[in-house]
This record gives sequence, C-alpha cells and structure tokens, in this order.
Amino acid sequence: MRRAIVALLTLALVGVVGTVGVATFLNRSDAAPAVTVQRAHKGAAAPSFKGRITFLVVGSDSGAPKFGRGGAAERGRADSLHLVVLDTGKRQGIVIGFPRDSYVPIPGHGTNKINAAMSFGGPALLVRSFEQLTGIRIDYFALTSFDGLTDLVNKVGGVRVNVDMRIRDRVAGAFMNKGPQRLSGARALAYARARKTLPGGDIDRSRHQGQILIGGLATFQAQTAKDPARVMKWLAIMNDEVKTDLPIREQLNLALFARTVAPSQLHNVVVPNTTGTAGRASIVRLLPGAYSLFARVRAGQFA
Amino acid sequence: MKAGAQGPERGFNPRIAAQRATPGIAQFLSRYLTVAFLDPGQQRAGWRDLLVLFDTPVQQAARRDLDSLSLGAVAAEVKTVRPGPARAAVTFLYQGGRPVGATVKLAFDGSADVEQGTGPVRLRSVFQLLWTAQGWRIASYQSQTGASP
Repeated sequence: MRRAIVALLTLALVGVVGTVGVATFLNRSDAAPAVTVQRAHKGAAAPSFKGRITFLVVGSDSGAPKFGRGGAAERGRADSLHLVVLDTGKRQGIVIGFPRDSYVPIPGHGTNKINAAMSFGGPALLVRSFEQLTGIRIDYFALTSFDGLTDLVNKVGGVRVNVDMRIRDRVAGAFMNKGPQRLSGARALAYARARKTLPGGDIDRSRHQGQILIGGLATFQAQTAKDPARVMKWLAIMNDEVKTDLPIREQLNLALFARTVAPSQLHNVVVPNTTGTAGRASIVRLLPGAYSLFARVRAGQFA
Repeated sequence: MKAGAQGPERGFNPRIAAQRATPGIAQFLSRYLTVAFLDPGQQRAGWRDLLVLFDTPVQQAARRDLDSLSLGAVAAEVKTVRPGPARAAVTFLYQGGRPVGATVKLAFDGSADVEQGTGPVRLRSVFQLLWTAQGWRIASYQSQTGASP
C-alpha cells in the first residue's frame, strides 16, 4: 500500500518540466464529516554558524576589459579593501575599510602600499598581509573588478544605498544627490570610485564602498523575502562575477544565514589614518587608533 | 512540478539543467512527504527518517518544528493519511555542471482519518536545499501546517 502511495506521489511530483503536476487521490465521496486534525503551526530555521567569520573583500584594478583594464583580477592591485567580520552568534559585524595606499609591512616584500600585496603574490599574500597587520584570522576572500561590480549590480537589478553627500565628481563619473536611492552598476561603481572632490578623500571613498556592501545585503534580503528562489539567482550571479575561496556549500549556507542579519547590525568604519609620504610616494599611515580598533575587533567588540 | 535553473552566464542551458535535476528532487520530495505525512508510525520512531532529510546545522531546529514540518504530535491520533494534491516549484543552482542547491516551494494537501472522523492535513513550505555527499538535504526552511492563515 505504502509503495503504491509513494509511486503515485512520485508521478504527481515529477510531472513534466514547465508544467504543474497535480494529482488528487482523495476519494471525497467516502469522506466522513470533516474534523480538525491539524492545528496551524509555523516554523523556520536557517543554518547556524559557530563563532566568527571573516572575509577580505577586494576590488581589483585589473581584469576589467569593459573598462580597458586587462590582466587577471587576482594579479592586479587591490584598490578597494574591506575586512568584513561577522559574529554569527550575535548576528552583528563590522565592515572595516582600508585606504589602498595604507603603508604596511608585506611578508617578504618589506613595507609597501597594501594594494601592491596582491600584485606581488595574489589574494593569498594579500590575506597574509592583512592577518599580520590586524592579528585577525581571515577565513575567506572575495575578489571582483570594475566589470564584476557593475555586472553584478546590474544583474541583481541595482543596489539600494543611502548616498551620504552630494557628489559632483567628473573623474569618477559620479553625479549624485544626497539621500537613499537605487544605484545601477555604473552609478554604484562611480560612487565607489569618487574621491578627489570629496571632503574626506580616501576616507569618504572607503566608507562609500562599505555602504555598497551593506546596501547589497539589504537588497539581497528584500528580494529573497519576496521570492526565496532569488537566493539561487544571487549565488549564480556571484559565482559569475566574484572570485572566492569560499566553497559553494558554504556560500549557500552563508547566503541563507545572511538573510537573518540586519544590515543595521553591520558597522561601517574606515581604519583611522593620516596621509603622508614615503620617499616621493604619497601614502597613508595607520594611526594608533587603527591598532586599538583591531584589538577591539579581536575581542569581539564591533560597535 | 515546475522547475527552472540558475547557473553560469555562458554555456548553460537552464531548461536542460532543470530537466536533468528534476527526477532527483522529485524523489527527495516524495520521500519527504511520505515520511512526514503518509506514515504516522514515524512518530514512534522519533521521526528519524524525516530528520535525516535535514542538513546537520538545522536538524535540532527541525526536531523543535516537527508540528510545522509534518503531522507532528497529531500523528499519534491518525490512523491513515490519504494524499491529495502535491505541487512543487523548484529553482536549481548549478555549478561545475551539476546541481548544488535548490529552492523548493512545496504545497501538499491530504486527508487524515482519526477516531472522530476525517479532516484535512496541509503543508506549505519553502525549502532551501543543498546537495551533499548523502544527496539533497534541507539547509533552511519556512514551513506551515494546518489551517490556512
């Protein structure tokens, strides 16, 4: 009997792709008067993680033929750098932006601008440089390019960002008014690149890049709340546009977990720094406050 | 069953990919509905056959949510369940030429015989599935049973 039911149910489920397979086996004519068998119940769960997960999110200046930037993204200079630390238990985290000209020790390469680490030794050396600098263990990297960011944002239908200042930056192609808005790929890239006309220069730029990351999370949550199948669409797009060492199983688990982290619980900061010179090069020096920030993050304090 | 697929932008045919992955997921969903609704004896076994269909990180939550995922506590009073319509809409995620994840919207209606008579049983779920070494497993769910909200 049970086998027969299973066989019938399988037939009903398999159907033909693109059609709806429905089977009704219930013989309503013999049914006794209806009684309440099941009360209404609701339940939900997402994957849980233990402890902390840390990513290095990198934007490369290479690997973007649409912008006339050839070569491989992972051999270019890392011009956008964010450490994303997530406390999975508390469902909160911090996005720490690093100016690309941060002058720091690079293992095996003396002291140099941090964006050079990737061109010296790929994402692996960049990760090691960050771990040595911050004392924070990095679990995974995620790397994209100008092409990757614009295509990703366009494919998901734009990203919602609260633009925090009026911008008129011809070099970056950024012309925006202050306020919440949906940015297309090109406008998101322009917002991420604008620097010269901003009062805080590199600090403003790095904060804006962090806003795009957090805005991406909010957009992902809004879309997947309306249609849960969008999770698979986002993952397919991410796999096309972002290089990462995060295995697909973890990507899926993390995407499902990310639906439960409020964007407001991610603090967006830029590492305390000041501008300076090294020889004739213009650089950024990290201030003592940067090392205090790393110590607080290591201790799990993100606010 | 309605199926679609997401995958790499280049060299990927969503229709063929969905067709290829459909039998496996249909078998999984059939197994799910059988152990969750058609075999009330599962309760005596602690719903073991149902819980193994969940990925390890959510098994504990699934044990807590048995009433919203299956017949749950009322299984003890149910003599038989007759399956009615089952509908599923599936979106597969492909990577490296094989399905690695899937979103399933599953609806099931049936009829259960209890001492006092016969009444409807109902499931409306969204499952996020992950392909594992053991086959498909539910990595995340939003589920409801019983009367329409």
